[in-house]
Order: sequence, then C-alpha cells, then structure tokens
Amino acid sequence: MLKFLARRLGLALGILFVLSILMYLLLDVALDPLDDLRTNPSPNRPVMIANRVAMLELDQPVWVRYLHWLGRFVQGNFGMAWRSGQPVNAILSTAIPTSIQLVFASTVIAILLGVTIGVVSALRQYTAFDYAITFVSFLMYSLPIFWVAVLLKQFLAIGLNDYINEPTINWMIVGGVALVSGLFWVGAIGGEPRKKLMVFVCAFAATFGVLAYALLSGWVQHPSIGIIGVSLMALATAFVVSVLFAGLNNRRALGAALTAAVVGIGAWYGCQWLFFYVEMSMLWMLGLLVLAIAVGALIGWLWGGPDRAVSMRGAVIVSIVVSVLVFIDRVFQGWQQYSQMGTIRGRPIATIGAETPGLGGDFWITQLDRFTHLLLPTIALVLISFATYTRYQRGAMLEVMNQDYIRTARSKGLPERLVIVRHALRNALMPLASIVPVDFIAMIGGAVITETIFSWAGMGRMFVTSLAQSEVDPIMVYVMITGGLAMVANLIADFLYAVIDPRIRVDA
Amino acid sequence: MTNYDDSPVRGGAAQGPQAEQAATASDPNIASDLAPVDAALTADGATGRGEGVGQAKETEGLSQGQIVRARFLRHRGALFGLITLSAITLMSVLTMGLGPIRGLWKYQDHTRSGDMVNGGEPSLRLPFAGGGFAIGDHPFGQDSIGSDYFALVMSGVQTSLFVMLVLGLTAMIIGVTIGSISGYYRGKIDMVLMRFTDLIITLPVLILGAVLGRLLDVIPIKLDATAAQREALKANMPLLLAVVLGMILWTGLARLTRSEFLSLREREFVDSARVAGASDWRIITKHMLPNAMGVIIVNVTLLMSVAVTLEAALSFLNFGIKPPNVSLGLLIADNQGAFATRPWLFWWPGLFIILIALSVNFIGDGLRDAFDPRTRKIPSDRAMKKAARELAAANPAAAIQEAK
Amino acid sequence: MSTTTPAPKRAAAPAPKVALDSFQRLSRSTGAEVKQGDVILEVRDLTVNFWVNDSWFTAAEGLDYDLKAGEVLAIVGESGSGKTQSSMSLIGLLPKNGRTTGSAKLKGTELVGMPQSELREIRGNEISVIFQEPMTALNPVYTVGFQIVETLRTHFLMNPSDAKVRAIELMRLVEIPDPEDSFNKFPHQLSGGQRQRIMIAQALACDPKLLIADEPTTALDVTVQAEILKLMRELRTRVNAGIILITHSMGVVADMADRIIVMKDGRVVEHGTAADVFYRPQHPYTKALLAAVPHLGETRIEDGRSDALVVKDREFLALEPADDPSVVPALLLENVDITYPKQGRRPAFRAAEGINLRLNPGEVMGLVGESGSGKTTIGRAAVALLPVSAGKITVCGIDITGANNQELKPFRRTVGMVFQDPGSSLNPRLPIGESIGEPILLHEGLKGEALSKRVEDLLDSVELPRSYRNRYPHELSGGQKQRIGVARALALNPKLLVADEPTSALDVSVQARVLKLFSNLQEQYGFACLFISHDLAVVEMVSSKIAVMTHGKLVEVGATSDIVTYPQHPYTQRLLSAVPVPDPDNQRRRRELRDAIIEREHIVS
Repeated sequence: MLKFLARRLGLALGILFVLSILMYLLLDVALDPLDDLRTNPSPNRPVMIANRVAMLELDQPVWVRYLHWLGRFVQGNFGMAWRSGQPVNAILSTAIPTSIQLVFASTVIAILLGVTIGVVSALRQYTAFDYAITFVSFLMYSLPIFWVAVLLKQFLAIGLNDYINEPTINWMIVGGVALVSGLFWVGAIGGEPRKKLMVFVCAFAATFGVLAYALLSGWVQHPSIGIIGVSLMALATAFVVSVLFAGLNNRRALGAALTAAVVGIGAWYGCQWLFFYVEMSMLWMLGLLVLAIAVGALIGWLWGGPDRAVSMRGAVIVSIVVSVLVFIDRVFQGWQQYSQMGTIRGRPIATIGAETPGLGGDFWITQLDRFTHLLLPTIALVLISFATYTRYQRGAMLEVMNQDYIRTARSKGLPERLVIVRHALRNALMPLASIVPVDFIAMIGGAVITETIFSWAGMGRMFVTSLAQSEVDPIMVYVMITGGLAMVANLIADFLYAVIDPRIRVDA
Repeated sequence: MTNYDDSPVRGGAAQGPQAEQAATASDPNIASDLAPVDAALTADGATGRGEGVGQAKETEGLSQGQIVRARFLRHRGALFGLITLSAITLMSVLTMGLGPIRGLWKYQDHTRSGDMVNGGEPSLRLPFAGGGFAIGDHPFGQDSIGSDYFALVMSGVQTSLFVMLVLGLTAMIIGVTIGSISGYYRGKIDMVLMRFTDLIITLPVLILGAVLGRLLDVIPIKLDATAAQREALKANMPLLLAVVLGMILWTGLARLTRSEFLSLREREFVDSARVAGASDWRIITKHMLPNAMGVIIVNVTLLMSVAVTLEAALSFLNFGIKPPNVSLGLLIADNQGAFATRPWLFWWPGLFIILIALSVNFIGDGLRDAFDPRTRKIPSDRAMKKAARELAAANPAAAIQEAK
Repeated sequence: MSTTTPAPKRAAAPAPKVALDSFQRLSRSTGAEVKQGDVILEVRDLTVNFWVNDSWFTAAEGLDYDLKAGEVLAIVGESGSGKTQSSMSLIGLLPKNGRTTGSAKLKGTELVGMPQSELREIRGNEISVIFQEPMTALNPVYTVGFQIVETLRTHFLMNPSDAKVRAIELMRLVEIPDPEDSFNKFPHQLSGGQRQRIMIAQALACDPKLLIADEPTTALDVTVQAEILKLMRELRTRVNAGIILITHSMGVVADMADRIIVMKDGRVVEHGTAADVFYRPQHPYTKALLAAVPHLGETRIEDGRSDALVVKDREFLALEPADDPSVVPALLLENVDITYPKQGRRPAFRAAEGINLRLNPGEVMGLVGESGSGKTTIGRAAVALLPVSAGKITVCGIDITGANNQELKPFRRTVGMVFQDPGSSLNPRLPIGESIGEPILLHEGLKGEALSKRVEDLLDSVELPRSYRNRYPHELSGGQKQRIGVARALALNPKLLVADEPTSALDVSVQARVLKLFSNLQEQYGFACLFISHDLAVVEMVSSKIAVMTHGKLVEVGATSDIVTYPQHPYTQRLLSAVPVPDPDNQRRRRELRDAIIEREHIVS
C-alpha cells in the first residue's frame, strides 16, 4: 500500500513538473506584457519598453526565465503581480482560503444532494418522478453558470433583501412551492393511490404551514432556530438515522440515537453559557465537535447490545447533526445585530465579495457575514454540479440493482431497506470515488466564473485578472496549485477506492 | 462458461441461444441430417412461446442501424431535442443566411446601430400574454446602441452551433485516434499517450481554454501582422477558437475509446479477423471502430453540449470570441449591467444557450439508450397495473402474484 | 438414499450444535415440523406470464406437482423453457413485468397472491435459493461469513457471536476448509467451488423446508461439479428439505433426481420418476433430448469393464512413436512454453509449459482440460494469436515461432479457427456474407460475383440458406451463428482447424446438430483439427485422439478409446469419473467408482 502510494505520488510530481514547463512555454506565447506600450504615443516609449524588458527579463531566452522561475518557486517565492506590484504570496494568503471555502462547501453539498436524489430517482425508475428529475438535471447541466449567477444576484439577493425591508407576502408563490413540494414527496415515496394522496396532503400542508409561519411571524426578517427548533430537528434526525441505518426493530440503536439527541439538547444550554463567557474561535468549534463525536460514540457504546457498532454509528451521526444545529442556532442569534450594523444597512444577503470590509463584530458575527456571502455563489455552483452527480449516481444505482447479488439478498428474505442500503448503496457509492476528483477540477473551473461575477478575491479571479494583464507569475502559481489539488484529489480517490473495495485492497 | 440464465430482464436474450427454436422454426429451408430430432425439438408451435421470443420478435429483420434508429425515435426526450435543435438551426439560417448567402431577415448587418423604437423593448407579442401574436419590427428588442437584437441573437446562435460542430469534430478526430492507438497497441505507446492525457486533464478546461483564447488574441500583435492578416484572423476567430478548444477537450473521449478498444480486443471476432489475416489497419477501421462508434457518437454529442456553455463562458470572460463576431456569451457579458433596466438583453441569449445545450443533451441521452444493448422497454407501473387487470379478467378464479 | 460411500477422511461434519430452536424467530414459520416424506409443496396449474411489447406472453404454464421432504425434483429444459421463472415465481422474485397465476401451497399456506412483506419472511427462512453463478451472486464487498450471519439474523433474534458460531458450523457442514479463517474472507478470495459451498451454507442457514437450486453447478468445472453434487446428495438426507433442482444437464439430473419434470417452451412435456423418464420416455421431445446428449464411454460401461480404472500397463507417451516421420504433421508443438506477460499489477503467468504435441493431417485431436488448464492458450498459440516464450510450433511444415504479421500471411491460409462464444465471434456490424468472405477477400482478392459464389457455397456446406448472406449476426440463433463461424473458418479450405469450445455455449439439442455437421464437414474437407473442450463426452464423439491438460501441462495423450477406457494419469481418471452420464443406474456406479478413486488418492498421498 505504501509503495503504491509512493509510486502515485512520484508520478503526480512528475506530471506537475512537465505541466509547469508546458504552461510556462504556452504563457510565453500567449501573454504580451508590452501590449499597452506598443500603442503608447508618448515620446519616451523606447525607454519605457526597455525598462519593462529589463524588469521582466524579456531579453533572456524563455528557458532561462523558466529556470529562474522554478528556482524561486521551489524556494517558496511565488513572484510578483508586476502591474500592481503586489507579491503573489500576499495575494495568495487571502485568495486560497477564500476559494477553498467556496469550492469545498459547494462540492460537499452537491455530492450529498446529487447522490441522494440520484439514488431515489433510480429506485423510482420509469416514474414521473424519475422523468422529472432527469429533465431538471439536464436543464441544470445546460445552464451557463454566469447566467445563473446573474439571475441569482438579481432575483434571490435583491428580492430577499427587498422583502426583508418591506414584507409583502405573495401567496401564489407560497402555494406554488407547497404544490411542488407535495408532488416531489409523492414522486419520491410512491405507493398506492391512497398512500400517494396522503403523502401529498401531508407534504403540501407541512410546506405551506412552515412557509406561512415563517412569513407571517416575521421569521424571515429575524431567522432563528431556538431551543424548540433544535430539539425538534434533533429528535427527527435521531428517528430518521435509526430507520435508515438500523431499522426500528433495533431498539438499542433507536435508544442510542434518541439519547444522543437528548444529550445534545441539554448541551445547547451549556453551550449558550459557554458562548456567552468565552470568546470563540474555529479551533474551539473543532474541539467541541470532536467532543460531541466522542460523547456520541460513548452513548452508543453504553447502549451496547450485540450490535454495538450500529448503535455507535447512529449516535455519532446524531451528535454531529446536533452540533451543527447548535452552531447554526448561535450564528443566527446574531442576525438582529448583524443586519442593523452600519455596513449592512438592513440588506444582509450579499452579492459582492467574500466578506464585508471593515465589519468588526465578534466570532459569531464574522461567521454570519461569511455565511451571507457564501450563500449565492454556493447555490450557483451547487446548481451546476449537482446535475452531474444525480445522473451519475442514478446510473450507478441502476447498474447495481440489476446485479445478481441483489437478487440473492432478496432471496435471503432481507427487508427492502437493507437490500438497498446495505447491498445496493454500498456498491453503488464506490464508483463515486473516481468522479469526485474530476468534478472537483471542474468545480475549480466553475469557481473562476463565480468569483468573477461575485467579485470574490479568490484564486480564480486572480487568474482572470492576471491573464488579462499578462502577469505570468500569478498564473503559474494558480496552475501549480490547481494541478496539485487535482493530483491530491486523484490520490485520495485511489486511496478511498482501495479502502472501500476489498477486491482492490488485496491486490495493492 | 455458458450463461443459461433465462431471465428476460438480463441482456442478450435476443442474441442468445434462446432464439434458436423461434429462428429455426421460422425458416423451413434448413436441411439437416438430424431431421427427426429437429422435428421433435421444434415441434408444437415454437412461435411466440417461451422466454426471449418477445425480444427476438422486436428486432427481427432489422440491421443494427435500423434498431438504433427505432430505439432513438422511441425516446421522447431525444425527439424533443432533435426537433428543437433543428428548429433553432433552421430559424437562424433562414433569417441570417449562411456565410455569404443573405438571409430573409430585414436587418442583416447586426453591427449597424439604429434609432431606438419604444425604448428598445421587444415588439414580439405572444397570444397567451394578451394582445395576440405579433412579430413587429424588433421582436427581441434593441440593444443599447439600437441594433436589432433578433439579428444579434440569431448570429450568436450560428456562432454557437458552428463552434459546437467544429469543436466536436476536432475533439473526435484527436480523441479517437489517440484512444484507439492506445487501446489497440497497449504497452509502451499506451503508457505514453495516457500520461499525456493525464497531463491535459489536470487543468480545468476553462483555464486552458482561457489561456489559448488569449493566445489567439495576442499572436497577431506579437507577430506584427498586417491589417489584412488581422482582419482574416478576426473573421475566422470562431473557427480557430473551436479548433483550439477541441484540442483540449478530447481527453475524455480518448479514455473512453481506449477502454472500449481494450474490451473489444477481447471479443472473439477481432481474433477471428486476425486469424483470417487482416492487417492492424483493417482490424481497427473495419472491425473495432464501427463497434465503438456508438460510445463515441454519444460522447461527442455530450461533449458538444459542454462546448456550447464553454464557448459562452469564455466569451463572457472576454477570452473567447471578440467583436465584430457575435456570440451568445458575449451578448450576455456586454449586457449584464443593463439587467435592471432592459432585462430582455439578458434573457434572449441565455434562453438560446440553454435550449441548444438542453437539446444536444437530450439527443445524447437518446443515443446512449439507443446504442445500449441492455436497454429494454420496461413497462411502467401504470402499464403493469392495466395489464394485470387484463390478466385477471382472463383468469377470474386465479390469484395473481405480484412480482418484486 | 443410500448413496454415500464410507469415506473416513472426508467424514461428514457433525450436525450443527447451535440449535435454531433456542432462538426467537423474527419471521413467521408456516405450519408444523416436517418429517421425511411429508408433502411440503403442492403446485397446481402454476402459470407465469410476462408483459412484453404490450402483450402477455407465457413463460411457463400449467405446472402441477407435489414435493415431499427429502425428495429431489428436477426441472429440466433447454434455455428459454421457463424452468427458472416457474420456480422464482414461488417466492415472488420475478422481474417487474412478470405475474404468476395458479396455486402453490407451502405446507398448506398459499404462496401465490401473498403480499411481498409476508413473502419476505418466507424467503431464506422456509424457502431458500442456490443460484447459478457464485461469483456474482455473492456481494463482493462483504465477507462470506457476514453474508451467512446476515441471513440468520434476518430471521432469528440472535446476537452476532451466536450467529458466527452457527455460520462456522454451517461452513464446516459444507466442507469449507478452515472455516474460522474463511469466515473473514471476501468472495473473490475463494475458488468457484468454495463460493458455491458458501452459497449452499447460506441457503441452509435457517433450516429451510424447500431448497431451490438453480443450475447450481453449471458455472463450475466438472470435477468441482462432482464434489458439489456429492455434497448436495449428502445434505438431502440430513436436512428435512425438499429440493427443486433446475438444470439443463441430463447428467446432473441422473445423478440427483428422484422425479423429473421436462419442460419445453413453457410447457411440461413429461413428468415422472427418474427411471421412467430415462428408461421409458414418452414424449418425442424427451426422447430427442436424451438422444442428443453425448454419452461418455458408453461402450465401456456396457462391456461391464467398469474396473477399467485400475491402472493397466500401457506406456505413457507424449509423442506417439508410431507416427510416420515422413508425414509432415499438420501441427507440431515441441517443448512449447507460453507465458502471459506482466500487465499492470497482474504478475506474469505461465499458462503452458513443456508442451509436446503432434497432430497428423486429417486427424481430429481432442484437447481436454478444466478452466485454467491452458488448453485455450495452446489453441491460440497454434494459430499464432499468442507468442510462445520457448519451444517451437510448426504448422504444416511452416515454423510460426516468432514470425511477424507479414511473414505469417501465407501461414494464415492454412489455418482456420472456430471460437467459443457465437455471440462474440462475429462482427455485429458486418452482414454474415462479409464475415464469411473476409478471409477470401484478404488472401485471394476475390470480389463481387466470384466472392458471392464462394460465400454461397460455404453457406450451403454448413446447411444454411443462401439468403442469410445479407443478414446480421443478431438475427441468428446461437447454433446458426456457430455454423457461420465454421463456414468462415473453412473459407480457405485450411489444412488445420482449431476449434475452441465450439459447442459449449449451445443447448444440447443444438450442440448435437452442430457436432454432426462438424463431423460431416471433417470427412468432406479432410482437415486436421485440434478440438478444444472441457466436455469429455463431446470430445469422444468427434475425435480420434485425446490430449488431457491440467495446470498448464499435458498429462496424457492417446487414442480416444484408450483414454476413455484405460486412463493412465490419475487426473484423467478423476476427470473421467467426474463426468455425470445421463443414466441414473450407470451414474450411481460411476459415482461409487469415483469415490473409490479419491479414496485411493488420499491413501497414496
């Protein structure tokens, strides 16, 4: 295994090296640092040209410049964006976290959403639901991301901000959303006509009710979760997790999940106290999450029984979900303060930049600010790439459902839930490991446009401006980082594959 | 070893030995020394009974191409895509002409500015919006300098379609060549070619595309080209861009062709051709490529849909097509600031990008189903229910077991 | 049944210690305990329909039978006869577009029309299934132990450690070597035979009342098949279950069945005891089917020389000294080694080594061996599809060792090859005529009329209508495609024909016709032929000499009658005795003989 990884790593470095040579040569042709001077009418044009040639070593042959660049690069000096005179290292220190945040968040959400819907669509093959999902995913796939981004900016951001300032409820839209939700759940669950009708009525009423409550009670203006919301969601999560991963027959697993939920609700009170007295940081958050996971595992272990692992898994999942809920709840508690801050002026949904400059405020306000800025670009990226995952996962699931071992699992008398979750899903998720890296690369490409439109000072934007301004150093760094990320993604995929597929594990 | 499974949902029923009885019985010309055995084995009306017969019937007397066509036309989404794409192509060619041929639309020069009519609003009226149907003078409105937007959008559509086709063709030629050489010869050549593919795949296409687009822009300046040369380059920008983008988008196709060739190599008809003394060239072109064509065509189609959005995105970033050429992406980029005041400048080009990409996607999906031998028409739940009622009516006394 | 011979070394494992009765059932059990001889399954007028292309068509119709505990009912038929679907319908495992009508009562409980949720409790619990292909029928990502435990814990309230104990006992029952260790192995780490044993252990986990075995040995080599059949025969006396055995192989039926149902095109054409069906068949289809099955070494058994397996004094010789040195052999292999080079992570693999083989002109030699024995490798090397790593291959006096494509061209005229899989040996994109005509076009440059004439002659000679020239492969049945394959191989009137398992993908009746045709053509054209097959009975029918391979080595070569009657090498003896013959009485004798051989080998080793 180690030898295998070492070989892959060596290969990746080799590819990166060749990539750097080719890109440098290509950029040497594609960039024209003298373009503005060529048409410059000023009398001392030759001097200016000479100066610039000297500054950029343009009199040297390209391979000398490449070697110089490589020498600096391996020492960690990434050069300079010469037009603005900013060192690339300085740009990167803010650009990298910004981009990673964006791409990472949207990749995770797209995978979760896409995979779930793809699986359901495959299970409901040849139904209206399946056709609708197919159509929607094709539509998403065909959407140009810059077009979607502009639309989001215009409608979602401006519309939502306007609503927050001047609430007027459009009941047509509420009804429409409820209708779509009703149809969605009917399609996803299916069954006999009577069951369908029941599902539709429930889903319609629930959606309509929640929306109406949110709009009428002013929740949209002052979003919060509160202890009641946290409790309800925690218990619901415990229930769903038990149904999916253990089955309701396994009373211990259900007990463990519910205990984890209750403990989490209790922890909410403790956290309020903690958050009030202690200034928080990301490190604290991570520490608390680890603690929550440990507590979850302990609860599962204590419930024990023959299937200790199942109980522990359920409790840990619930703990994670509850932790995230508590975090979000606390972030939203700052909403009132945030939207009334001078720089926000009651228009909290941001359309530009990754953060509000000169905002001030504590940890929670910063988180909220980051969240409002991430909202639109993330939605844009998710909309585009979620379609790929849906299509892919649907195909993989259909393929697996036709396998002989699914028939065997049914012939053993396993409940359909286990046939799907344990036998089909496990196998259908494996090929995902091979498309995630590819899609991750595509996502970085998509981020270039998203960052341009939303004026995020990320790496993609750095690339676009540098390319337009013929600055070679930032582009080279961008290429190397992107290529490196792609290599890492591929390595992780190989590694994951080897871990989850026993057939590969042994050969490696 | 043999697959004796006789389940009708799994592959190959029509091709498998199952069809033996049906096919033999339907052809009385076959002479055989084992006549009595034959007679006994094919006795009692082997027509329309036993598993597999249904499928055999479906494909009787059709060539591979005809089967694919029939399956494709059965795919509703593909049909929709085909009709929409044809309609769009026809509309843009008829109105704006093709190359030097003039079209029928009154504003042929989309660069010409004009007087603003009614604030540049679209004059197109559709019946359901009230006011009946009307095309008017500027159905899609006018842009900020008063040019006819319909002419602009239709020219942009032509550019998109043109880029799409050229790009698909370029990528196909490169990808199929590299993939088939790699898959057929394997060994060292394969290693080198695949590492090269890995190299290209490492960067997002958008990044490479942007650099190459910029290169096309810079080269004439750097080389101090004459004005005439620059003009010629500018006029052929869509072509150049499409070829250049094709040169980076072939990777997926090469990998697919390679893996298809690797699996085709294991098929016995390739060995059979080799035993017959066919050359490598003949085996590749006559035996393997035609059999890989299904996969190739499907993926070229899907690649084309990517091409449409990629070209638009590059033009939007200003690394793609430049004026005086028109592109849908460029139209959106030029007019995104005007969204609040003149939203139609934003809607129309976006609508056509989506329609083209969506149609091509659906066509690709239809082709995939049509070429996939495993695709079967599986009845929907509703059809099954109706059929079950029929069955119940025929056997009123019997209980009926639903299938899993 | 009193079939088991005493075999001290392979003594049957003790009955499971973990009694299932002590655990609470999660699934309902239908009816009371069954004893040997109780009727457990009553099937009346069972019909299976499929909804295809907007109409119902019948896959199986009007099945009537009773099954008693401890009894084996064989349902026999060729592919497409509806034998599998009629049994899958009992437990509601039909494809989505299938429906069942009629009645099937398991100990008085009606199965047809039962809701899926109740059927689920019966599956794996009261009725369990053994599927054909053990590689794909086990989930590749879970250990085999887990998959057995899962079955147990679905139907019984058991904690994992108890279930594991029971699973290991079951694995011991089905004679998995070192069950504690194998418990944690993944399916791909086991051999095909072991996987099938796991499948059986899993099926037996909950003490089912009814066991459906769907072609349980079809995917296995003949010696492994014999072992699995032996295991199943032993088990039937120990578990109180009725067994439905679905198979196409008359040999397997003769080995196992008490009663037999013969199906054709979805209808039952014959139903009776094993003796009735085999010795007094009524329906013409049954008679034809029995006639079409190749009988291995019939003469020998009838001579009563069943003690022939005792080693006689016959010189074992790889190269027959009687061969006239002046005759140029059609195929001569001298000390040939063939190695598959290392590919990716797969290490290099020596598929054949030290092969010496001589095939005279006009002679048919059968090359027999099990999967992985290297027989196909030899065949492919003989037509220069594979390079040899050592030694020398000569075909009709032409040395083809190390020749390149250009040099091989004249050689290609002298050989033809018939491939195993009729579905993949013809280019699906070319009309039949072009496929047949390709060698002629390439070597003689004939085109147009002249080519058509030749193609038509070839179609005539394989007894297919000339109009087939313009058809595509997918329109033809398997048997017809294989005839096309023969025609193509004979297009240049070759001196040597290599036939690689030409009939193993075909139904037995089709196989009989293709073999007959093949023999006729061989007489007519007089080519030498290397006939590769795993099926000794088929090889015996067509060849005058037989060569036996195992593990890449040639172990025995000789005249067909000698090999079949006086096999010298222990492997040949084992192979011969493992082939089930379609005759219950004979088969029983052979089986006992086989046990004796294995016994002897154990004592020797």
